[in-house]
Amino acid sequence: MKVGEHEVPDGLYYTKDHEWVKLEGNLARIGVTDYAQKQLGDVVYVELPEIGKVVKRAEESKAKEMELGAVESIKAVSAIYSPLSGTVKETNQVLQDRPELINTSPYEEGWVCVLEPSNLEAERESLLSPDAYVVFLKTLK
Amino acid sequence: MGHPYIPNTREIREQMLAEIGVASIDDLFSDIPEKIRLKKKLKLPAQMSELEVKQDVQKMLARNKPFTQMLSFLGGGLWPHHIPAHVRSLVQRSEFLTSYTPYQAETSQGMLQALFEYQSMICELTGMDVSNASMYDWATAIGEAALMCARVTRRKKILVPELMSPERFSVLQNYALGPNLEVVKLGYDWASGQLDLSQLRAKLGQDVACVYIENPSYLGFLETRVEEMAAAAHKAGAIFVVGVNPISLGLLKAPGDYGADIVVGEGQPLGNPVSFGGPTLGIFACRDDTKLIRQIPGRLVGATTTLDEKTRGFTMVLQTREQHIRRERATSNICSNEALCAVAAAIYLASLGPRGLRELAETCAANANYAMKKLDAIDGLEAPIFASPHFNEFTLRCTQPKLAIKKFNAKLLKQDIQGGRPIKDEFPEFGETALLYTTELHRREDIDRLADAAAEAVGARK
Repeated sequence: MKVGEHEVPDGLYYTKDHEWVKLEGNLARIGVTDYAQKQLGDVVYVELPEIGKVVKRAEESKAKEMELGAVESIKAVSAIYSPLSGTVKETNQVLQDRPELINTSPYEEGWVCVLEPSNLEAERESLLSPDAYVVFLKTLK
Repeated sequence: MGHPYIPNTREIREQMLAEIGVASIDDLFSDIPEKIRLKKKLKLPAQMSELEVKQDVQKMLARNKPFTQMLSFLGGGLWPHHIPAHVRSLVQRSEFLTSYTPYQAETSQGMLQALFEYQSMICELTGMDVSNASMYDWATAIGEAALMCARVTRRKKILVPELMSPERFSVLQNYALGPNLEVVKLGYDWASGQLDLSQLRAKLGQDVACVYIENPSYLGFLETRVEEMAAAAHKAGAIFVVGVNPISLGLLKAPGDYGADIVVGEGQPLGNPVSFGGPTLGIFACRDDTKLIRQIPGRLVGATTTLDEKTRGFTMVLQTREQHIRRERATSNICSNEALCAVAAAIYLASLGPRGLRELAETCAANANYAMKKLDAIDGLEAPIFASPHFNEFTLRCTQPKLAIKKFNAKLLKQDIQGGRPIKDEFPEFGETALLYTTELHRREDIDRLADAAAEAVGARK
């Protein structure tokens, strides 16, 4: 799907903080959306979360324990907020040397981390479907 | 008559009172209960004219005895050197003097270039690849290094020598408090002062973020097994941090050449005067390693070219690490720096050149070694107390029974000689000991004068 110039692929879940979630068995792969990377501009650094970090699902009021690192562009830094509660299992080490993958391939090579959700059933409904995310993006224009 | 500095006259005051509808100034205080009001005049001296104030202050100042008018050997972390006249006149140019830290950085190309030159020379001197545009002083640079190592390694333990400067240790502990870092002291060899390598190896585990050493050490001796320390730290995945007096690097191997990952130090001796303990200049440099550079504190100046690649220019780089962009995630809360002191350091180093710096370092060390030889030959004195090579500072112990080091210093002072810094309160285990320094400012006859006065003070035969 496409809203204006922003890609919103099917088969993923989204959040209002512009993260995407891809459920893979009992794990969840997480990244930032095309909209987010375009807002940031050229990404120069990605601060990855620590493996084993226990995170809480992000809510309206943000806290450090909801963060999965940060994405840094030339003139701004944005935290990556966790769409789900869980434990960090894997991080995308390629981003250390090639942070620009967030720009060139936000949904594939530019993934940020893999989480083992601790409360998926209850939290799943707070995630946005592609359609819902598209509706949300339109409200931002 | 009105006050020379306060421009409101009686007429203006009356106008203001009339405007707000009160009869007198006292009426403004009518809310304050009568019984707690001060009824008498404050015990303050009467108003003085400008001339009287000037004369009064001059009289007070005349009671000071500037150490430049005495022979000083007061060691312990700051070192007066000769500062060539042009260093002063250049840093006092208003373009440098009033810039402080560049906020609209790129409009201050001259300032940025001067800081870039400073960073380049610090890198060359320390054997590092990246230097920031300075920190406040050596102590805060250690604190920042500890925080940086904790962020990079995600570990919490900081190993330091027991003989490190107690003042710097105290600052480090302050820094460690917030993020809950544990600062652990490493013992030393009694005879040589050298850091105990077996203790270092024993304490190096997966929880150690960094190993910090000072070389030259606070007590003046040189650590001789630095390569082994670096190897041990690296084997445990810890970062090796070395603190230096940069003048010593004219003579000693650059820390980068023996395994340091981060170098900190006191830049004051590079063209900055010693005045009431400062101004100081924190040196902070690290290796070219993305993990380290992303986490370096402070401001960084980089060189670049214009879009047509024809003109060289200077910019602030990696500003996203900094507070004004990164907010609470910043790599440090220091967006400021000691820019003017750094510029002075750059001019000073450029004036000396590598050969000049080497000669200077040799003179400082030779003077200290001559002083140690002269003092050690006196019955009742021991210098140094450690069997190790020394740079420009050394320990002097008074072994004469019943002669405290402070008493010994008082006797020197009567002859207009400022003795060493007593370290008895800091390290009581070394007895009546003081820390002395020498630089190129000490002539041979000055050291002879010290030795003569010292011999007299302990009552030894000359």
